[in-house]
Amino acid sequence: MADGGITGHGIGARVLRKEDRRFLEGAGRYVADVARPRILDAAIVRSPVAHARNLTVTKPVRHEQSVFTADDMAADGVKSIHVVSKFPGHKASDYPHLATGKLRFVGEAVAVCLADTRAGAEDIAVQTGLDFDALPPAIDMLSAAETGAPKVHDDWEDNVILDSLFEGNPEGLGDAAVSVTRTFRMNRQAVNPLEGAAVLAEWDARDDRLVVHSSSQIPHILKNALCECLGLRQNQVHVIAPDVGGGFGYKCVLLPEEIFIPWVAMQVKRPVRWIQDRREHLIAAANAREHHYAVTLHADTDGRFIGLEADIIVDSGAYSVYPHSNILESTMAGRTLHGPYMFSSYKVHSRAVATNKPPIVPYRGVARPGICFALELAVDAMARELGREPHDLRIQNLVPKEKMPYTTITGGEFDSGDYPEALRRSVDLIDVAAIRARQQQGEADGRLIGVGFGCYIEMTALQTSAAARAGLAAIPGYEQAHVRLTPDGGLEIGVGVQNHGQGMETTLAQVACERLGMDIEMVSIRHGDTATSPYSTGTYASRSMVMAGGAIARTCDVLGERIKSIGAHLLQSALEDVRIENARVVGPSGDVSFVEIARVWHRNPEDLPADVDPAGVEVTSGFRPSPDNSPFSYATHAAVVAVDPELGQVEILDYVISEDCGTIVNPMIVDGQILGGALQGVGTALFEESYYDDEGQPLASTFTDYSMPGPTHLANIRLDHLVTPSPLTEYGVKGLGEGGAIPPPATIANAINDALREFGVEVNETPMSPRRVRAKIAEAAG
Amino acid sequence: MTELTLKINGEEVTANVEPRLSLADYIRDHRRLTGTHLGCEHGVCGACTVLMNGEPVRSCITFAVVADGTEVTTIEGFDDDDPMAQLRQAFHENHALQCGYCTPGMLVAARDIVTRLPDADEDRVRLELAGNLCRCTGYVGIVNAILAVLEQRRA
Repeated sequence: MADGGITGHGIGARVLRKEDRRFLEGAGRYVADVARPRILDAAIVRSPVAHARNLTVTKPVRHEQSVFTADDMAADGVKSIHVVSKFPGHKASDYPHLATGKLRFVGEAVAVCLADTRAGAEDIAVQTGLDFDALPPAIDMLSAAETGAPKVHDDWEDNVILDSLFEGNPEGLGDAAVSVTRTFRMNRQAVNPLEGAAVLAEWDARDDRLVVHSSSQIPHILKNALCECLGLRQNQVHVIAPDVGGGFGYKCVLLPEEIFIPWVAMQVKRPVRWIQDRREHLIAAANAREHHYAVTLHADTDGRFIGLEADIIVDSGAYSVYPHSNILESTMAGRTLHGPYMFSSYKVHSRAVATNKPPIVPYRGVARPGICFALELAVDAMARELGREPHDLRIQNLVPKEKMPYTTITGGEFDSGDYPEALRRSVDLIDVAAIRARQQQGEADGRLIGVGFGCYIEMTALQTSAAARAGLAAIPGYEQAHVRLTPDGGLEIGVGVQNHGQGMETTLAQVACERLGMDIEMVSIRHGDTATSPYSTGTYASRSMVMAGGAIARTCDVLGERIKSIGAHLLQSALEDVRIENARVVGPSGDVSFVEIARVWHRNPEDLPADVDPAGVEVTSGFRPSPDNSPFSYATHAAVVAVDPELGQVEILDYVISEDCGTIVNPMIVDGQILGGALQGVGTALFEESYYDDEGQPLASTFTDYSMPGPTHLANIRLDHLVTPSPLTEYGVKGLGEGGAIPPPATIANAINDALREFGVEVNETPMSPRRVRAKIAEAAG
Repeated sequence: MTELTLKINGEEVTANVEPRLSLADYIRDHRRLTGTHLGCEHGVCGACTVLMNGEPVRSCITFAVVADGTEVTTIEGFDDDDPMAQLRQAFHENHALQCGYCTPGMLVAARDIVTRLPDADEDRVRLELAGNLCRCTGYVGIVNAILAVLEQRRA
């Protein structure tokens, strides 16, 4: 592994975070902390029903000027969000900012109310009258997919948004000797960054433009959407994402509030803010996951996987989110259900279905927690069928190191890695032999012990061609960085990605330290502001370190040549005789510091060579992997659980992660990303569920009925790192942010099913709450 | 409107407020002390934790008028406080924060733990922290930081 470079601040160094100080002092600046004179607070009237038509809104008397509806926006010519896809047969729909005519989920925004305080605005909201004719809703995705179900969009022939078939050599499926068929369900949950969404908008008369502060992962994409919906030129919109209190994918989609709050601010000619409360977050906005799988895994008698068949349904909710659409998950699940295994035949049918629930948004792992849950539980079912150890069957079928790069049955390409080795290492660390011996003895407290594994791959840093094939509204191209040598010899670096907890103000600076031998105190990363950063599709898909890090490395190279040229002149050496070392230009006759070179460029230009590059010491350049492929991270998670057969309670006794994210830029931050992701995955596995009743009413609307993982739920994760540098990227880094959240539901379910094996039952649905686990045990008792 | 007088971070202040105003909104919107964060506004997540007369309270479910006559300390009020200085350094060294949103509430709760329970072990620290949610870190760095400060203070 790299050693952190000459200064100790480069690639591989455990540098403490540059961004910590402001947060430790309570001096972070989130949207709700921004003050403006004469600001108004917004409260939103939301739909109380899941499905209705003939909506009319009655503004309360004396407050007519403080309430805004879809009719007001339409009268002003505001355009709706409309996200289509290139996939043939995709059914498109508008996503109205404020409901028009029809209500399609509980919590859908209907009207905006303004007052000097949020409490005052809520007083107006409760006086706003709604009239509508209720309709039967489509709530469960399985019945919603059927002909004759209530239609979410009246002009569609049914609720199936997209019906896709992914095939490879399907005729080979008949060759299998052993087949197991199972159904699985990953239920809906909420994303829950601790800071919810927040928008503050004002028209800045001096700059003659709309200024929008938003808690966003994608400020440039938000700017595009504001221009398209409000009919503004790009030079009339400035978006700032200040400190963002967690995102996890929720904040990489456009929210209706990000359009209608700025529009309202322009109408009232005053600053307006909307600060989402937790109830709004839980019921109206940040829903995710919700997949159903019917899977058949085929193998020969020796355990070699022959083929995979599946029927997948994803509940996409009522609308298509910008820019990632309402088919991102169904197509990803259909195309990559194979996971890290080799198959010679493949036939997967996937459907995205509209329901009267909030649109699902990307959430850490995007589709892959569901994919991993379905596939890995099917693999364990096959192992039981064949009488094999689950890890042994996996090692036989994982893509081995010597087959890298490996082209999957659906045409994807794994770039590098040793998948079986990650599994072998976790088998040793969790000590399967000791668990098997312990199971023989039984537990004094009557609980049942089980061990389980979950293997996954994660395609990181979504690439141009893949996004273009899907026809996404935001297609990432070359990621750029802007690097400027400041008059004191430091570096100011602008990037279009958005740091919201990942430590990028530190890790991206480490790239520049490595490249130019800088001290990290002299490097600052600027982000989150469309006025000062290069255009970017933003932070999502575990892309920022790969893409923005690569851009900084390449841009530092160009800047380094310019610095060398000036340095060579000052040293009176030939350009080919000098090199950069430790923020100095070193030649045969001596050396000159960046500080001195910066001084000459900025303060004493009379000393520059006559042929100096007039572009100077500011450079914008960019990076994308070549060829246009994505680096794949991977890991095996292993868990030991104890199941209380009377209470259905599951306790995690041990948890091991063997992972490979390529070259590690900062081991402290890598560990932090994995640990945090893993506990989110534990939440998916055991606690978190956005439950809806038959009428589409959300039953988890506070943190007392939506259970978040807390400090007592998992103490002892052990981390183990493999390092296989990616051949595609600068320094061989691979994306890392999301992976930790992908396999815990699969891993924990497999451990529970191992514990319950003598009952002959299997859990197959998240979260594996005491109620569900007890129900399975009761099923065995008959 | 109701008049209240209280000390915030050592400064005596008097204000007229609506009876329904929460202490958190008073601190943030009226006093412009924005280090106290709102995560759930129903008393579960702990991001809004402040000290009232030296004890942690959830300012989101405490009415401002309840603070009449009390001393309130927010994250901005610990500049000369040794346990807080130790905790801030330990949080930094143990990567106990990512997005930073839960951090002020975590620090106030952690200060209560290290000053009230000098002999706390890891299980006790985790139990005591159960009133504070963090979505980013998985709590590992936070617990390690608190344990490190407990160790320092015992030495």
